[in-house]
Amino acid sequence: MAVFLHSAEKTYSYEELMRYINTSSTYCPYFLSKDLYTYFANLIKALVTNQPVVLIDADSSPADMPYLDFALVNKPQEVGECSFKDMGELIEALCQSTSEITIFTSGTTGQPKRVVHSVATLARNVRRGEHYKEHVWAYAYNPTHMAGTQVFFQALMNQNTMVNVFGEPREVIYQQIERYGITHISATPTFYRMLMPFEKAYPSVKRVTLGGEKSDKQLYEHICKIFPNAKVNNVYASTEAGSLFAAKDDCFQIPANIRDKFRVENDELLIHKSLLGQSDSFAFDGEYYHSGDLIEWVNETEGLFRFKSRKNELINVGGYKVNPGEVEDAINAIEGVQQSLVYVRANSILGNIVVAEVKLVKGAALTDLEIRKVLASQLQDFKVPRKIQIVNELSMTRTGKLKRS
Amino acid sequence: MKEKVLEVINMIRVAKNLPLVESVTDNTRLREDLDLTSFDMAELTVRIEDEYGIDIFETGLVNTIGEIYAKLQK
Repeated sequence: MAVFLHSAEKTYSYEELMRYINTSSTYCPYFLSKDLYTYFANLIKALVTNQPVVLIDADSSPADMPYLDFALVNKPQEVGECSFKDMGELIEALCQSTSEITIFTSGTTGQPKRVVHSVATLARNVRRGEHYKEHVWAYAYNPTHMAGTQVFFQALMNQNTMVNVFGEPREVIYQQIERYGITHISATPTFYRMLMPFEKAYPSVKRVTLGGEKSDKQLYEHICKIFPNAKVNNVYASTEAGSLFAAKDDCFQIPANIRDKFRVENDELLIHKSLLGQSDSFAFDGEYYHSGDLIEWVNETEGLFRFKSRKNELINVGGYKVNPGEVEDAINAIEGVQQSLVYVRANSILGNIVVAEVKLVKGAALTDLEIRKVLASQLQDFKVPRKIQIVNELSMTRTGKLKRS
Repeated sequence: MKEKVLEVINMIRVAKNLPLVESVTDNTRLREDLDLTSFDMAELTVRIEDEYGIDIFETGLVNTIGEIYAKLQK
């Protein structure tokens, strides 16, 4: 029978998964586990029995989640056994699930917000059918976050195999791609940057999806070299709304059937409440939610746009607004740079100043001054980081995004 | 400490393609004599803060090298 998951040197079949779902009589509404298989098994048990479930990051401590009673964590609750005859039946039950699924936003700043979703909103963009069988997914996201649930549903509903590569180093990721013949990867741009530089092509990969943060042209070129047979696309998903639209290259297209559910104000994308999960912390402006994502139209009548940055990420330097993503793009384009992180430091003269951490490609010998000179020739003066540190590793958040604080 | 201040100033001047200065005195003015803009002075504070843990502009404007020394000697 087909393999459900390869994780931490263990292999779990769909048969084993189904046996567990049928024979276990309990599940944990608040489940915290570093083991991906037991995490998924608990989630599936909750969904097929229509029970509420809260997705808790395996690295959470009580201090991270003051609104959660930690005494409840990993406390099993009786729900009774199931009697699914095959995976098809189990998946149908999953699709019909009325469970409330609580997800926390991962935001780079501030307290996490809780958002309640249903299978209907989370699996809105799952594609099923002959064409989607036999896919082998690299599981590269944090499983408790929106993007991770998207990959989970897409793979599970098609009985695909997942290979856990979340948090693994570069060599291990490449090994797993070859060993299991991974065909699909969905991950943050940061994940793909970690795979640079190009050393060898991996022809088994047919589809590469980027999500979660802005990515640049240079990264696309590298991805195309490493995965020469892959179609590359970008996905726009948020904890608030789930996956909304995907597109080719660096543009997104709002599907025609939901185009009237969006507005743009001061470059910010506004999403109609009918597309969102439930949360007390959403502040609506009439019927619309401010996404905080700044976009520019490429073709407004066709709903085609480009993602510019996060609104709250703009750095105010002595009254000038700096988009850290733009500065990172410029740094990443310099020969010898593997990855960069541009962030803000409080300053008594200008309010803030822009500083950067840069990770170089192995063997490259660039100095902070050389990087600054290149940037000075390309960017306005106020955008050039005033201090550039060459580092071995950049600081990252648990979602695999870069940490700007 | 005086050499360090000079080193930081030259670091900033190099990035602006200005010639290195050999020496500074207490009366050397940051803006007029060393051509430092407010952005450069912001950089100066960050670099000195990383070195000595002191924000030289925290309690008000600093105009000369001597005033920097004074802040660092407190």
